[in-house]
Amino acid sequence: MRPIIRSSLALAILAAALSAAAAPQNRGGVPDLRGIWQAEVTANVNLEGHAAQAGIPAAKSAIVSPSSGRIPYKPDAVARRRENFARRAEADPQTKCFQAGVPRATYAGAPFQIFQTSDRVVIVYQDVHAYRIIFTDGRPHYEGIEFYMGDSRGRWEAGTFVVDARNFMAGTWLDMAGNYHSEALHVVERYTRTGPASMTYEATIEDPNVFTAPWTIRIPLRRLTAPDAQILEDQCVEDANGLPRHVPPFKNR
Amino acid sequence: MRLRFFSCFAAVALAGLAHAAQAPLRAPRLADGRPDLQGIWQSSGNTGAFNLEEHPAAYGTPAGASVIVDPPDGKLPYLPGMREKAVENSKNRWRDPVGRCNPHGAPRFVLPPFPFMIVQDREYVVFLSETSHDVRIIPMDGRPHVKDYWAWEGDSRGRWESDTLVIDVTGFNGKTWLDQAGNFVDENLRVVERFTMTGPDTIAYEATVDDPTVYARPWTIRATLRRAPKDVELLEYACLEGERDAPHYPK
Repeated sequence: MRPIIRSSLALAILAAALSAAAAPQNRGGVPDLRGIWQAEVTANVNLEGHAAQAGIPAAKSAIVSPSSGRIPYKPDAVARRRENFARRAEADPQTKCFQAGVPRATYAGAPFQIFQTSDRVVIVYQDVHAYRIIFTDGRPHYEGIEFYMGDSRGRWEAGTFVVDARNFMAGTWLDMAGNYHSEALHVVERYTRTGPASMTYEATIEDPNVFTAPWTIRIPLRRLTAPDAQILEDQCVEDANGLPRHVPPFKNR
Repeated sequence: MRLRFFSCFAAVALAGLAHAAQAPLRAPRLADGRPDLQGIWQSSGNTGAFNLEEHPAAYGTPAGASVIVDPPDGKLPYLPGMREKAVENSKNRWRDPVGRCNPHGAPRFVLPPFPFMIVQDREYVVFLSETSHDVRIIPMDGRPHVKDYWAWEGDSRGRWESDTLVIDVTGFNGKTWLDQAGNFVDENLRVVERFTMTGPDTIAYEATVDDPTVYARPWTIRATLRRAPKDVELLEYACLEGERDAPHYPK
């Protein structure tokens, strides 16, 4: 009898410890998203999944809805994606050091850091030092201003940080394969902590000019836990030919 | 310098006394007791963005007093032969790196007439500039500088000295200009910045610049930062997006 009680107590303690680990709470009682995060997938190559290519392993689609894993393009919008793909080496805005836009900044390759204060969440992306200021105080979206990184409002739904991003500029892409959007893009992001160093990122993408229905991607994020982890400077400068290129912030490299 | 410092100090103290009649002059504080510097700030009352030194009005440049408080003559203490390079820069302002979407770097980033936001999140202080969406993430946990860092913004480490936020910045690539007049630094630059709240809506900013291969001695600028009105928020800045100037610059 006694050992059973002891073990069930131990189990209860373990369960409590595990759930605390699963969803760290910030002081304000909301999930603690702070830290430096990085996508663990190659979705930036192609959200729809892709074959292996030089230096990049094959990957399954990041799209969880629809279940086909395919982006539900309107029939008259697919051609543009094909043209983008054909010209991607020079046409991808990322190669020109544009701010990546949303949700691409999340999986564009470089880490990003989340800060939380009482009335806003700030995300700083290493990629071209783009940042987002996400208000959590219930204020409305801006009227008549478009943003490369969107106009974001956040709220807490139980263990999930939900961000409603709209007022986008057309012109950024969703990945290197030429998947794109118009200025009617509307993204709802969901950030859910799943462990001490892990988080699930989901984004539902809606754009009636380009897609027949909303669709959803899911990206696992890993927290960089090294004590000296740091977002490094990623500055894009023009080379002698006027072409932008990333410059690493270290000498002689 | 000393005199000016004391009279400035006395003015602040007097303002504090006058204020104390109604309520004590207190900067807002965070739960951990540190001063709450959060908000959107803009330097005001100086033309240091155009030229750190005293300068007459010129095309596109308002006249202004020097923001340099040390040395006392308000002049940059260039090593022999270095001022000529600044003069050369001033005749070729198209070379100003910020014109090509590069960061202002410290201390220039506080001086332009653009706002920046301070965020404090326990072990970090973050500066978000609207200009060129420049970011400085400043760890406050005492970690050492990144080795061999070589960046426009440098590598910042912060600490509190009483109620003053002190930031030590090294690891610069030395390509930044200090102002539109072409005053410059090289990669041996080290900047120590001091942010002290002097009231709920004012910060005294001071930066000491040490660059022994350009300047004969360290020198210090001072500026007042004012809190932006309540409804002001940073929006977005695009620079490389749609950039079409590059092909037209002289080679």
